[in-house]
Amino acid sequence: MQRWTSQPLPVPRHPQAPYARADLELHDVEHDGPSYHALVYFNQADADENTGRAAPGYAGSFSVFAHGRCWGDRGHCDPPAEPLHPFDRRHLHPLTPINITVEVTRALRAVAGDTIAVTVLAFPALGSDRPAPLRFSRLTLVTYD
Amino acid sequence: MTLQVTVPAGPPARGTLSLRKSVDKLSDAELANLRQAFAGAMALDDDRGFSYFAGWHGEPFNWCEHHTSLFLPWHRQYLYYFELALQAIVPGVTLPWWDWTVSDSIPAAYGVDSRAPDNPLLVSQVRIYRSGQSEPAPPRTPGQNPGVPPLPYQDDWNQAMAATSFAEFQTAIEQVHDNVHVWVGGIMQDIQSAAYDPLFFAHHAMIDRSWRLWQTQNPGATPAATLLDNGLRPNGMTVRQTLDVTQLGYEYAGTAAEAPGPTAPNGTAAATPADASTQTSAPGPGDRPHTPSEGSF
Repeated sequence: MQRWTSQPLPVPRHPQAPYARADLELHDVEHDGPSYHALVYFNQADADENTGRAAPGYAGSFSVFAHGRCWGDRGHCDPPAEPLHPFDRRHLHPLTPINITVEVTRALRAVAGDTIAVTVLAFPALGSDRPAPLRFSRLTLVTYD
Repeated sequence: MTLQVTVPAGPPARGTLSLRKSVDKLSDAELANLRQAFAGAMALDDDRGFSYFAGWHGEPFNWCEHHTSLFLPWHRQYLYYFELALQAIVPGVTLPWWDWTVSDSIPAAYGVDSRAPDNPLLVSQVRIYRSGQSEPAPPRTPGQNPGVPPLPYQDDWNQAMAATSFAEFQTAIEQVHDNVHVWVGGIMQDIQSAAYDPLFFAHHAMIDRSWRLWQTQNPGATPAATLLDNGLRPNGMTVRQTLDVTQLGYEYAGTAAEAPGPTAPNGTAAATPADASTQTSAPGPGDRPHTPSEGSF
């Protein structure tokens, strides 16, 4: 299991406009390795594999249905950094990082303070050779009026 | 390419729709036909065969779309072409769906079956198309991957179905889809190998059915206009051409209904949508394809 905790985030709420929904967005999630499942907690930096979904601070979960083993030759699973030239009209490389959205409305409403720290526990699927599969560039907390 | 089929532009096609059914409602004969079709496809090592189509999704072609705006359209046309390949082997066979909103296990049809010792729906190997690579498939590990919630996924599915835009629906249903893949385990848990498991197609028939049901609840809600004329790999069917399953020649039993027309004898009672998934029919003398003027849809 891999544990990662964010820096404190300000809760994006407006006193005159209660939000109808809140999403946690993980950006540029890499999926070139084995698949995994992840649990998300708010202000539960000590959460572990025994914490579960009924615990205070549980916000949601997601799976990353990932590439798995590479069957190709060397370089097959390395997305190019950029198109070869302006006329490169090929599809994006299959391993281009993705965005993941987790709906967290109920969990965010339960947060009493003005900041939250997001903890993500990632559980690699059986047979995985990568104990720390969770890799992404940033996360965003978005509320919708 | 021998399997390329172009959905005709212009007037709607007229013909009898194939009905996809819940795997739990297949008759013994329908299940036997499905297994015969898969076995036949697995015996072909060319571009009509199972390995070729499994390779569309993962190794070696990698044409699938995940966490992009084309997830649902791409997989709809994928099932369409694969189902045609099966129907070329066993006419009339259709892909059943696995309803993991009510089921907490892998359908028996896809497991060990004493009546079918060589059940082709029970994955046994990954044979990469035209590569010479062939390996035994590790067994499925349903519910054993750590952290993954147990089936059924009724609540998550309901939440996805409540979406009010196509983009929101697609994002939500793909997340449920990801959970099911990882829940099943084995080769289903990774994109590269997933479609080599026949269960993949029952899972994706459920995803496609979900989109069809959502479409009936949200008529006119489509992908972004800028995407509609995008061609989907490899055959170039456009997103627009995937929007109406009846124009692809199929429907999901349970969303179809039939009513007698004005020329029917004695005002036969209409089948309800709930009845449709268990209805049976037999061709009569001079049986013709159903058309809208005959009261079918």
